[in-house]
Amino acid sequence: MPVDLDNSSTVSGDASVSSTGNQNQTPKSVGKKKRNLPGMPDPDAEVIALSPKTLMATNRFVCEICNKGFQRDQNLQLHRRGHNLPWKLRQRSSKEVRKKVYVCPVAGCVHHEPSRALGDLTGIKKHFCRKHGEKKWKCEKCSKKYAVQSDWKAHSKICGTKEYKCDCGTLFSRRDSFITHRAFCDALAEESAKNHTQSKKLYSETVTRKNPEPDQKSPPVVESPPSLQPSSSLPSVAVAPAPAISVESEPAKVISSSVLSIQNSPESPENNPPEVIIEEASRTIGFNVSSSGLSNDHSSNNNGGYAGMFVSSTASPSLYASSTASPSLYASSTASPSLYTPSSSIEPISLCLSTNPSLFRPTIQDPPHFLTPLPPQPAMSATALLQKAAQMGSTGSGGSLLRGLGIVSTTSSSMELSNHDALSLAPAPGLGLGLPCSSGGSGSGLKELMMGNSSVFGPKQTTLDFLGLGRAVGNGGNPGGGLSALLTSIGGSGKIDVFGSGEFSGKDIGRSS
Amino acid sequence: MTKTRIRNLTRLPSPKPLRGGDANFMEQLLLHCATAIDSNDAALAHQILWVLNNTAPPDGDSTQRLTTAFLRALLSRAVSKTPTLSSTISFLPPADELHRFSVVELAAFVDLTPWHRFGFIAANAAILTAVEGYSTVHIVDLSLTHCMQIPTLIDAMASRLNKPPPLLKLTVVSSSDNFPPFINISYEELGSKLVSFATTRNITMEFTIIPSTYSDGFSSLLQQLRVYPSSFNEALVVNCHMMLRYIPDETLTSSSSSLRTVFLKHLRSLNPRIVTLIEEDVDLTSGNLVNRLRSAFNYLWIPFDTTDTFMREQRRWYEAEISWKIENVVAKEGAERVERSETKRRWFERMREAEFGGVRVKEEAVADVKAMLEEHAVGWGMKKEDDDNSLVLTWKGHSVVFATVWIPI
Repeated sequence: MPVDLDNSSTVSGDASVSSTGNQNQTPKSVGKKKRNLPGMPDPDAEVIALSPKTLMATNRFVCEICNKGFQRDQNLQLHRRGHNLPWKLRQRSSKEVRKKVYVCPVAGCVHHEPSRALGDLTGIKKHFCRKHGEKKWKCEKCSKKYAVQSDWKAHSKICGTKEYKCDCGTLFSRRDSFITHRAFCDALAEESAKNHTQSKKLYSETVTRKNPEPDQKSPPVVESPPSLQPSSSLPSVAVAPAPAISVESEPAKVISSSVLSIQNSPESPENNPPEVIIEEASRTIGFNVSSSGLSNDHSSNNNGGYAGMFVSSTASPSLYASSTASPSLYASSTASPSLYTPSSSIEPISLCLSTNPSLFRPTIQDPPHFLTPLPPQPAMSATALLQKAAQMGSTGSGGSLLRGLGIVSTTSSSMELSNHDALSLAPAPGLGLGLPCSSGGSGSGLKELMMGNSSVFGPKQTTLDFLGLGRAVGNGGNPGGGLSALLTSIGGSGKIDVFGSGEFSGKDIGRSS
Repeated sequence: MTKTRIRNLTRLPSPKPLRGGDANFMEQLLLHCATAIDSNDAALAHQILWVLNNTAPPDGDSTQRLTTAFLRALLSRAVSKTPTLSSTISFLPPADELHRFSVVELAAFVDLTPWHRFGFIAANAAILTAVEGYSTVHIVDLSLTHCMQIPTLIDAMASRLNKPPPLLKLTVVSSSDNFPPFINISYEELGSKLVSFATTRNITMEFTIIPSTYSDGFSSLLQQLRVYPSSFNEALVVNCHMMLRYIPDETLTSSSSSLRTVFLKHLRSLNPRIVTLIEEDVDLTSGNLVNRLRSAFNYLWIPFDTTDTFMREQRRWYEAEISWKIENVVAKEGAERVERSETKRRWFERMREAEFGGVRVKEEAVADVKAMLEEHAVGWGMKKEDDDNSLVLTWKGHSVVFATVWIPI
């Protein structure tokens, strides 16, 4: 069954090949074929455009006897042997085969352009399927749908295997995203609060008591997992149990041991004497002990924080003292999560919901567009629009509008609105308009032609925005040669440097293609 | 008087139905429009704007959305030429759409594409290598991303096995609410979160905010660093991530020695242990609007092109920020025009002139970057330039961001 070849040309034969100068051409290894970047094909390759039917056809080679289909001719030939039919295996062609690249048949698709063709038949098939095909494969765990089976398989392998989970419930497949999130997530603080109240069920297997306090008057409190637990989302947090009612010396003992249990290389806090902590602890019995806990463990760095912090604004150092996320709180027996609110002005702890999208709070609706959209109309090519703009009335008053705005207008004649319906557009080329144009590159010639082309439209037509840029249907009037000239210069190869030197000459417009 | 000149065409192009999204066509229209606006050719500007408006709906494909952003910027420029107009104009300034992120949102946002993470990985790797053996590390983080690079750096420092982690001092400047992305908390709060995090990783950390602004080349920052006593065995690290582009250059101050040059000179005199410079490889400094627009268009199509995988809201935020940038480049002049990115080549000249020498990024880091890129869309790539020791992030082959490491020489 022959392959439908709709169009075959070179990639660079047409205009506007995107620059290949920036391609990454480093060969991976000797002997490996050089791979072009996706969507940046070899300029000399032959472009093949297959029809959608051909692309989607899986078994193009059919056995005439039993009608079994095969993806490759070689496979069909081998099959034919079984029917005792004559078969022939083609040798791989010895001469240099011209490289083939494939375009997507869907007009408007990025890969429809030869300059963005894909180098591989399988690739274009997959692309076509993915982008323009029906998504028949669905992941069981999440709701993602796929058109290409191999995509679905690849996804299923990794779905749900994301390795990092923050306490707030968000999943991450990469450690660095996880760490960055973790640093700022309020769950860091929540965690510490939870640890001391109801985390027994969460961490029951991994609890290690550092310093059992026999004379504790409060029921035992569970600490957060020790620093050894590798999969803990809050690494290296260890809390020593502490008596709710603090005895002078005990908190001090507890503190140092908690410090020890955390750090690999113990550094005794130099400058936060236990007395401070004790004081605060005694003050806060049965209440949130975040401040004391904090000054406990952050001893060295907290003070460092004070010292190092010369702040331009009015943030007070007490921010640190009562900030969240202290890893070494020792809770009182009666502390409850709701009491865990630092005294200063930290933003309230908010638990993130488990799916990512919820992190982004739903916000504003779409802002009103200042340029009102076109009322439903068949899409016009840009060329057509340029023509239309050029042809719009000799009597547009856009010039006056802008004049009124103080923008100097070069138009001298007064303009009037004119509105005509259903402009019939000149046929496509837009080039051979045969418009005379005064040669000599001074601006005046161009301006003359521009005169009368405005796009302000009557009230009955469309909404006006400030420059009268409503999307209007159109009107008749003088053909605007200047804009057509613009069209001429722009509409072509794209290699034209319209800002180069040289002058605009009318003779080019007169020529027809 | 319009001086638009169009070169003779010796060959007429064959008629081709132009899709609405043809980027070259859009570009030409925009360039013509820019010329028209600046030369006060109202009628021509008007027409082109009308055509653009009709061929580039704001909800179209990426080229169309890119064009819309430029269109709005050109309109803004036109309006700014007639100030009396602005009160009567109803078009929406981009600033209203810019999202103010919470830090958690920003953390996710910066990882939507490799745009920033690329620089983070390269810079952190270089920093970690450079500060080996120092007992105090002082990082000055001049970054657009409000310290998003720091958590992974802290984590990496904490994971060094054989020795105790150094004391970490982090210094930032307070002037970062002038351009997007905007955050919804103060730097004090941000800093306290970082310190808390560092603590959980057993890193002692100090956080300092110095009021200083890009508009004077961060002179007060530099001064503070000069007088601030550094401890024994302290490494000074200056991490410049998409920030130095805001320091006025010669095209603004129009003198031979700009604030940018002065900044680098003073930076050098502080004898930092290492300086990392991550910037976007594009020249947006031209005084000529047309050239600038052309440069901007031929670079900023990239971020628009990368947003296919974004969710709708994220894409809107992201593109609002790019639109802000486009507006700044196209519609603003003088000191208001802050986006003055320069090419990698130009930055190299500057660094060399300031007596810095380039350092190669380690192979491990390169491998890490590659692994990271694997997890993003297939268009992302990377090149390692051996001749100048830089790493360059690419999108479909085009250079996007370069990452370089410098030491005093």
